Amino acid sequence: MLIYDIWFLFIYMFFVGNLIFVSKNKHLLVVLLSLEFIVLSIFFFFLVLLMFIDYDMYMLMVFLVFSVCEGSLGLSILVSMIRSHGNDYFQSFSML
Amino acid sequence: MLTNNNSNKMFFLFILFFSTLISISSNSWFGCWIGLEINLLSFIPLISNSKNLLSVETSLKYFLTQSLASINFLFMILIKFSLLKNFDMNNIISIMMNSSLLMKMGSAPFHFWFPNIVEGLSWMNNFMLMTWQKISPMILLSYYFNKNFLIFMIIMNLIIGSLGGLNQTSLRKLLAFSSINNLGWMIFSIMISENLWLFYFLIYSMMIFMMISLFFLMNMYFMNQLFINNMNFFIKLNLLINFLSLGGLPPFMGFMPKWIIINFLLINKFYFLTFIFMMTSLIIIYYYIRIIYSSFMFNYFKMKWVNLLMKNNMSLINLSSFISISSMILSTFIFM
Repeated sequence: MLIYDIWFLFIYMFFVGNLIFVSKNKHLLVVLLSLEFIVLSIFFFFLVLLMFIDYDMYMLMVFLVFSVCEGSLGLSILVSMIRSHGNDYFQSFSML
Repeated sequence: MLTNNNSNKMFFLFILFFSTLISISSNSWFGCWIGLEINLLSFIPLISNSKNLLSVETSLKYFLTQSLASINFLFMILIKFSLLKNFDMNNIISIMMNSSLLMKMGSAPFHFWFPNIVEGLSWMNNFMLMTWQKISPMILLSYYFNKNFLIFMIIMNLIIGSLGGLNQTSLRKLLAFSSINNLGWMIFSIMISENLWLFYFLIYSMMIFMMISLFFLMNMYFMNQLFINNMNFFIKLNLLINFLSLGGLPPFMGFMPKWIIINFLLINKFYFLTFIFMMTSLIIIYYYIRIIYSSFMFNYFKMKWVNLLMKNNMSLINLSSFISISSMILSTFIFM
């Protein structure tokens, strides 16, 4: 059943995305990119899952809409951070 | 909270309320995830409304932790769906799902964002964060929890909530650690029965509302602001009553839900857990009393040049004191 080795790919992608998220980066944008990478891995997983059980792909579309909303929310927070701090470095967090 | 000039806030507040209802009343786990996402999407505009540096940093930290938690939650939902583990609650998948929900709530060991964010929010936003935002993760937790894992998390919550508040001078962080401690009680009450959780949650949110509205009216954010102004005796008394009620001392309202939980604990022989619940409550009451006791002793501070006039709001304060003191006795009249 070599076709079921595809599951390992999703878990690997998911864990790598999480690893980049929690790593120390210089920019905030890297963290948001890692979030999008996790979303991509879940998209792939969802796609393969729904294909295996012969469902329609509507749920996948709903998932995609919500993930895109969340990504755009992250970007808008990035924009407001650049407007107030001037950059998106993590070193400029000093308040809390 | 609703009496502000911005109609955007009312819109997002409506969507916030609706998102919790979507999340807890959905037929599938995917609907729960959708509710959690809408919750995040509508809470961020509520907290990032002012134009200072603090609110940007606060909303960023909130966004990062909550989005990570909800994406992990979705991945675990998919794995659970694909491996068909719908009724087996004692495996790694339930641990992962519970972990992501605990991260959404701000419970230990995922609590590190919570005092930071509470420090950066105004009092009314704190009230929303501490009460309403905890409803949907907790109800989702009650649908698929891992008992052994959650008991360990409860112990960590209690200990971190009590010991973390000892070195705080900011009132918001103090209430944040107290909220983490009360989360421990609430998660345990979920495992007893959901009705009990609702009872505990309602009384907790009422107590937090009284405290936060008092601090909001006096515009106080730090402990040194508490007694540097010339407070009326009834405001000090109300503060004392609210703090003791939040800590769970007997004649006040906050004792009732804790009493029921302790009753259950002792009947079912959870003796070690009872010990931890009691001892951490003692530490919490210690640092509450430490704040207010010196205002009632014979030699209390009374600055004469800052006068805190609260003529118009005294009826609310007196009403809340009355409810806190007499609700245990009045409740026996209702439930007979």
